[in-house]
This record gives sequence, structure tokens and C-alpha cells, in this order.
Amino acid sequence: MITFDEATKKPLPTPDTDSAAFWSGLKEGKLLLQHCLDCGNVQYYQQGMCRRCGGERLEHRAASGRGKVHSYSVVYRAPGPAFKRDVPYAVLLVELEEGPRMISSLVGAKPESVTFDMPVQLVCEKASEEITLPRFRPA
Amino acid sequence: MKHKDTLRGKVAVIGAGLSPVGRVPGRSPLWLAADAARKALAEAGIDKRAVDGVLSSHAFAAPFHRFSIAFSEYFGIQPTFSNTLQVSGATAATLFAVGAAAVAGGLAETVLVVGGDSLLTGLSPDLALRSMTESRDQQYEMPFGIPVSNTFAMTAHRHMKEFGTTPEQFAEVAVVHRRHAMRTPGAQMTAPITVQDVLGSGMVTSPYHKLDCSLISDGAAAFVITSAERARSLGARKPVYILGAGECYTHEHIFLMPSLTTTGAAVSSRNAYAMSGYGARDMDVAGIYDCFTGTVIMMVEDLGFCPKGEGGRFVADGQITYGGAIPANTHGGLLSFAHSGMPGALFHFHEVIRQLRGECGERQVTGAKLGLVHSLGAGFATNATCILGTEDTL
Repeated sequence: MITFDEATKKPLPTPDTDSAAFWSGLKEGKLLLQHCLDCGNVQYYQQGMCRRCGGERLEHRAASGRGKVHSYSVVYRAPGPAFKRDVPYAVLLVELEEGPRMISSLVGAKPESVTFDMPVQLVCEKASEEITLPRFRPA
Repeated sequence: MKHKDTLRGKVAVIGAGLSPVGRVPGRSPLWLAADAARKALAEAGIDKRAVDGVLSSHAFAAPFHRFSIAFSEYFGIQPTFSNTLQVSGATAATLFAVGAAAVAGGLAETVLVVGGDSLLTGLSPDLALRSMTESRDQQYEMPFGIPVSNTFAMTAHRHMKEFGTTPEQFAEVAVVHRRHAMRTPGAQMTAPITVQDVLGSGMVTSPYHKLDCSLISDGAAAFVITSAERARSLGARKPVYILGAGECYTHEHIFLMPSLTTTGAAVSSRNAYAMSGYGARDMDVAGIYDCFTGTVIMMVEDLGFCPKGEGGRFVADGQITYGGAIPANTHGGLLSFAHSGMPGALFHFHEVIRQLRGECGERQVTGAKLGLVHSLGAGFATNATCILGTEDTL
């Protein structure tokens, strides 16, 4: 059962063996994508094998950080106590220039200003000593 | 259809039961489930000792690792086939499919399908929501404050962008469901609402307002399923047959959903129709998972009731209610009848089964013989469809 104390803390990722490089890349300001050296697939998020061909020769390359908003939703009612102070905030489904999509949230602009296909740029935002989150601002 | 030898028509539902639903304080998920189960058994006219299989969903408010096993102990039975299935909102339809396969394959003779939870009074509202958000990925989704509602909202939003679907059309879904619930004894929400009420109910996560979102409720449902032969030998009154089933799982993370506007329901329903030998046009009544208003609009398209992109107009034209192409959620659905988490989709089964048995009184869809129930979950990650029919449809 979840206690109230636990519910007030913002969830932060715990890097695992598949994702440790991704989260350490963000600390250096890089959004790492995996490029499959066997089939050319570019994937987000990080895992031990290519989702398309099963190959394990995967190379980390930093994304350009450019993308556009494929879809979005502005949250007015927080999902639990941890996000109550943040509302309203815009959750983005960003389509990166390299192809993959990812979930993020908007910084540097009013949440209501988001539009479909709006160009956005990566902002690496420190959330704790260990974790830097990839967010996006209008490009 | 993948296989020629299927479970089509081999298994029948011979009893259905509902616990009290809505706000049911002081009753645990296990009590609610057991209450629904004893009613289903009473309707089937069999003793609990005749049950040799139990399939259930999980319960947020009774976090047993093995709800179906905890339920069996609580109910005082020792089944020889059991499992607790977990594919979020799609679990309900998979309980029927797996139960039917178990009966058709000889793993069990009589399976109790059951689900109960108390999201409204068993958890505080914040913790209920939190328990939902914990179903999203903790590395790539949840740090950005994305509740499960937000994943559905992004699909609806993209549907607006691609097909011109409007907030008024979403709102109409809520209005129709409320009108249906007003005729359903025991429904949680029965005060009439208008499109303007929905649009003025406060934004939760755009484009969804409060009244575009399903309820939070307590409640349980249970069903007795057995082989068609046994249903006949028991002299079961108006058995309802499982004619087809299909599932489809397209992604786990919302950002890996292949298309935000066409879902795995297109595949799961196609497979279910193929097994049943019927198509969308043949369906008399439907239970369509309605966690949000826009979900129903997308589903009437993917389930084949109207072309892709026309769901908004289909709903606004009155096609999902009496006199329309496919009266859906005649009990009021998750939006107005009750939504107690995973058992919520079992209420759609309960209603469609009652419709096929001609037991819905003033809600009855005249002459209903074929029904579809579609359940889905986790931002359309999980989709499962069942086709049900009367004896005439075998």
C-alpha cells in the first residue's frame, strides 16, 4: 500500500543496466539515442538489443535536440500530490528529428501556448545529483 | 482467423451477478467480489462446489499478489484452475477469452470470472490516482507527471488535429452515457447533463474536462461460464454463447504507440469477428470501454462501426444510442454507471449479457441477439474484444 509521504515525492528514474548510459549522458547535456549498426534502426529508449532486428551492436549517439510536438496534453489536475504545485503543465509527445518519439514536458513558455507540430529544443534540467531530465522549450 | 478449430459457441455464460456499485463504504474488494459471485451462482442455479475454475482481475484496494487465490479462500472454494490476469483495462475481455479457452480445452468445467475493487472508498482520491499513475513507466514517463489519463488525452488530441473531432462531440458521448445511466437501477450518476455542462466542468488534462472522464467507484461483477453441453444439461435459462475473441498488444510506452489515432482494437476486433463469423454490421448492441469520451469515438471507428475519422460525427448523429447503428453502453458505462478499476469493464459484459437475454426492461434493445464487448487499457497498449450471442446465433 502506498503511504501519503511516498505519494508526495516526485518519482525520479532509477537507472538500470539497460539505461545507465542514457541517464549519465543527460548529466553531460546529451540525449543519447541508440543507433543499430546492423540494421540502421534508431531507438529511444535504451535497451540491450535492437527492437527491430535483435542485434546487439548498438551505438550511442547524441540527438540534435531538435524535434516537434506530435501531440500534447495540458495537465490541470495533478496525478497525485507530488505534481500539485506544478499545474498547469504541458506534457509533450515529442517527435525527434532522428525519428523516435519521447514523452517530456514543456519549459520556458506558458503551457497553453503549445500547438501541434510546434518546433521544440532540448533543455537538460537537473532534478537531483544523479538525475537530469530531458525537457523541451519552444525552438 | 488464425485457426479453424476455435472456441466459437463451445462455451456459455449461464449466470451473471453484480455487487452494489458506486459508493459502497465498509465493503472490501473481496466482499464485493464474493457478493457478485454468489449472485451469479444463484442465477446459474449451481452450488459453489461445482466451480472448478476461478479467473479474476487484480484489485488496487486489496493488493494481493494473487487476487484469484485470495478470492477462492474468502469464498470457501478450492479450484483446480485459476489465475489473476493483468492487462489493465483490457483484462475483462481476456478473462472471458481465457475462461472460454480453459473450458473448451478441458482445463476446467465451470469457471467463475470475477473482479471487484473499491477505488472510491477503499483508497483516498489522491492515492487512488497515484495507484493509477504507478502503472506508467517510472523512467521514461512518470518523471514528467503523466497520469494514465494524459496518455488517452494525447490520443484524443491528435484525433482532433487529424480529423477535426470537436470538444462538443466528445461531450456528446458523456451526455449519451448519462442518459443511459438514468434508466439503470443502481447507477452511480443519474442527474441529467448537457454538452455545456461537460464543457464547463473544468479541464482535467486537455482536451478532457472532468465530465469527459470516467468515474471512480466501488463494485464487483461475476459470471459463471461452462461448456455449451453442460449449460444444456443443467437446463440453463437463456445461455449466452461466446462466439469470438481477439486481443492485440501494440506497445507499452505511449511514445511507441505506432499511431495515436488507430489502435490495436482494429486488430483485436477483426480477429474476434472472424472467429464469430459475424461482422460489425451484425452487432445489435455493444459494450465499449469508455474510460474517456474520446476513447469511445476512436473505438467506434476501430471496431468497424464507422470509417476512420468519422467517430465524432457518428456519435453526434445519435448512432451510439437507441435507434442508432449500435446502441452502446446502455447501462451508462464507466462514465456514468460505475468504474471500479479493472472490474469496471466487467459491467459492460454484464449489460450486454442482460441485453442478449432480454432482461433490460426499459433499457432493452429490441430483439438483441449479437453483442460486442471491447475492453482496453494503459493508453491503448492493451485491447481485447469478445463477441457474444444468443442460441439463435450459433
